[in-house]
Amino acid sequence: MAYKSPGQVLQGKFSRRSFMKTTAVGVAAAATGASFMRIAEAADGLRSIGLGVSEINEIQDKATKDLGFQVAGQAMGYGDMFSKMLNQNDQYEIAEGYYNDMDVMLPAKVWQPIDTKKIKDWEKVTNLTKTGKLTPESSVGQGDAPYLFLWVDENGNRVKGPSQYISMAPAFHNADSIGYNPKATGKPIESWGELLNKDYKGKVALLNVPQIGVMDAALAVEALGLKKFGDKGNMTKAEIDFLVDYLIPLKKQGHFRAFWENFGQSVNLMVNGEVALESMWSPAVAAIQAEGVPCIYAFPKEGLRGWHGGLAISAKVKGKQLDQAYEYINWWLDGWPGAFVARQGYYHSVPENAKKYLEAAEWDYWYDGKPAAKDLADPFGTVIIKKGDVRTGGSYWDRYSKIAVWNSLMDENDYLVKRWTEFLTA
Amino acid sequence: MTTVETYSKLTHEPPQRGLIGSAPVVRPDEEVKRKYRRDPGFPVPVLIAPATAWLIIFLFLPLISIFIFSFWKSTGHGMVPAFTFDHYREFFATEGFFNPDNANFLTPSVFLRTLWTTFRFTITVMAICLLLAYPLAYFLSMQVEDFKWQLALFLLAMVPFWTSYLIRAVAWLPMLGRHGLINEFLLDIGAIDEPVSFFLYSEFSYTMALVQLYVVLAVGPIFFSLAKIDRNLLEAARDMGATPFQIFREIIFPLSLPGIAIGMIFVFVMLMGEFATAVVVYGGKTSTTGTVILNYYAIANYPFAAVNAFMLMLAMMIGVVVILRLVDIRKEL
Repeated sequence: MAYKSPGQVLQGKFSRRSFMKTTAVGVAAAATGASFMRIAEAADGLRSIGLGVSEINEIQDKATKDLGFQVAGQAMGYGDMFSKMLNQNDQYEIAEGYYNDMDVMLPAKVWQPIDTKKIKDWEKVTNLTKTGKLTPESSVGQGDAPYLFLWVDENGNRVKGPSQYISMAPAFHNADSIGYNPKATGKPIESWGELLNKDYKGKVALLNVPQIGVMDAALAVEALGLKKFGDKGNMTKAEIDFLVDYLIPLKKQGHFRAFWENFGQSVNLMVNGEVALESMWSPAVAAIQAEGVPCIYAFPKEGLRGWHGGLAISAKVKGKQLDQAYEYINWWLDGWPGAFVARQGYYHSVPENAKKYLEAAEWDYWYDGKPAAKDLADPFGTVIIKKGDVRTGGSYWDRYSKIAVWNSLMDENDYLVKRWTEFLTA
Repeated sequence: MTTVETYSKLTHEPPQRGLIGSAPVVRPDEEVKRKYRRDPGFPVPVLIAPATAWLIIFLFLPLISIFIFSFWKSTGHGMVPAFTFDHYREFFATEGFFNPDNANFLTPSVFLRTLWTTFRFTITVMAICLLLAYPLAYFLSMQVEDFKWQLALFLLAMVPFWTSYLIRAVAWLPMLGRHGLINEFLLDIGAIDEPVSFFLYSEFSYTMALVQLYVVLAVGPIFFSLAKIDRNLLEAARDMGATPFQIFREIIFPLSLPGIAIGMIFVFVMLMGEFATAVVVYGGKTSTTGTVILNYYAIANYPFAAVNAFMLMLAMMIGVVVILRLVDIRKEL
């Protein structure tokens, strides 16, 4: 007789498999929380901080190998990353930051202007960050579109571009949307309004970052035709009030199952069958599918919520490290990391360079919106795309010509956080 | 040989049982005295200096700075020295408060309500912790005779502390979820037709997880205060005809009060500062003052985060003082 662990005996017929699965995901989520940090010598080599989106061991290890000096990455949670970038710019050389935080970072002068003349492929960087329009027909989207925060003068003050200097080298970006389990929803999800559809009462989760959660809610309220917002990326107090006053009774009725704070939680919620649909980040879809749970990343007709990250250099960096910082940026834009993150659904600011490192089938699926010619793997080798799958929303150029709103820091940020607190306390 | 054993050997008395026996009565036995005469040792100031320095640098100064920062001005990306009560006004005031025409008439501010919610949960969980911890500690100290078993069971009660806090919270998910162990079990035996959702991401799961996380903090001190009670007192009471309930009410309970107070202070202080458990098992559907501090810290509004931190500290201090008022630890010890 095969050996049975006490756990197996205990669970017996109570669906052992699902139990083990949830446990594994839970533990993985917990482990991600305690991020692993390597210590680098401050005098030589680079320390880079950012989110798990771009701070991935494989990427910094490859950089270390290619560049011949140590690049140490540290993946952090959003709040911690933001505070460290702002308050401890002597603790890192490279900040893999986000354009929507520039309202805070630029006046604080924690980063130095980047000279575009030292960026090898600057001419190849798409117009998404330079003019806001990826294609001439694109709409720029509401909120903190990256092109608004790209251009600076040599002192790091924001200017209306173009200029020789930029705040941050554009590198990786994506657009977020709703992830859903088609079995649980019973139909395709094609609008942000479904997040507030009463049919899904108790089966919806939102992102618990006030600045972003409120935008998803605004997209939903607007989609339902309840209110038209002037600028969802910069709401007035009255608009925030309208939104929160609409959400509070819904929450009291038990409409929301949870508000998630990190990637692992969002995966967990859907894998465990707690939610049918939720606002989600792109790699979560793959992670959920890898658990054997069907999950589709919706392409709502109202458009997507975009975000854009890049590489900034701390104001404290000079001399040899400054040269290394530019080398690292040039290495990033040369495409290897772009190809790496493309397999999680993210886009690179020089698509033609990412193409160099992608197989034809991968490029066709992730960028061109064509059906997968064969099974495709995520960056870590797990097959997540089956032959014949098509990416929702079509090609990169289709998706990015329809950004509804960019992640933003609103003028009424303090008021927003206050009302969001009230929403959660209600 | 342990001290107790040595002592009993020298004085020909049976050794005290239990993890902590009652303090041996020192007799004018010269041999014992010589053996246990204490070296005068270091002078008191030297002994307390390291701790004092540590507390001043890492506790007292930071607390003072939090208080000072709460009056500074927020710039959106940091703060500048100033002396403003704006953040305190923001904390207490509600738009339309005390205006009979306004919907907010007599509604306390969001931040006060959050502090109140935090407090309400804390009190509930404290009460449950006490109800669970006391019988457990009582059993360990009074019913388990053998020292070895006492130690073994006490360590067993501490097992949850051997793993990380987060794991302990996350471990509830596979138990309580819609497809969790409990729901699957109830479905299996036919008690329910479809999964019950209130087990997880609810006040129920939140309270349960908090109790499980913090009950150990109450067990320890109560156990120690119970174990310290001189068994001769209980025997004397029995000899004089006291009923078990009388013994408990007149002797055991009053003597265990310091343990209860210390345990409750631990639990109270930990719970008031709690913010992570709500995210994991309550699905972030409530906010505690801890969350508020974190949210304002995350948007670089440090002065306002400081105001909340200061208010939380004040609430904690009041709570601790109230507990200490109810039980005079110094006297009881």
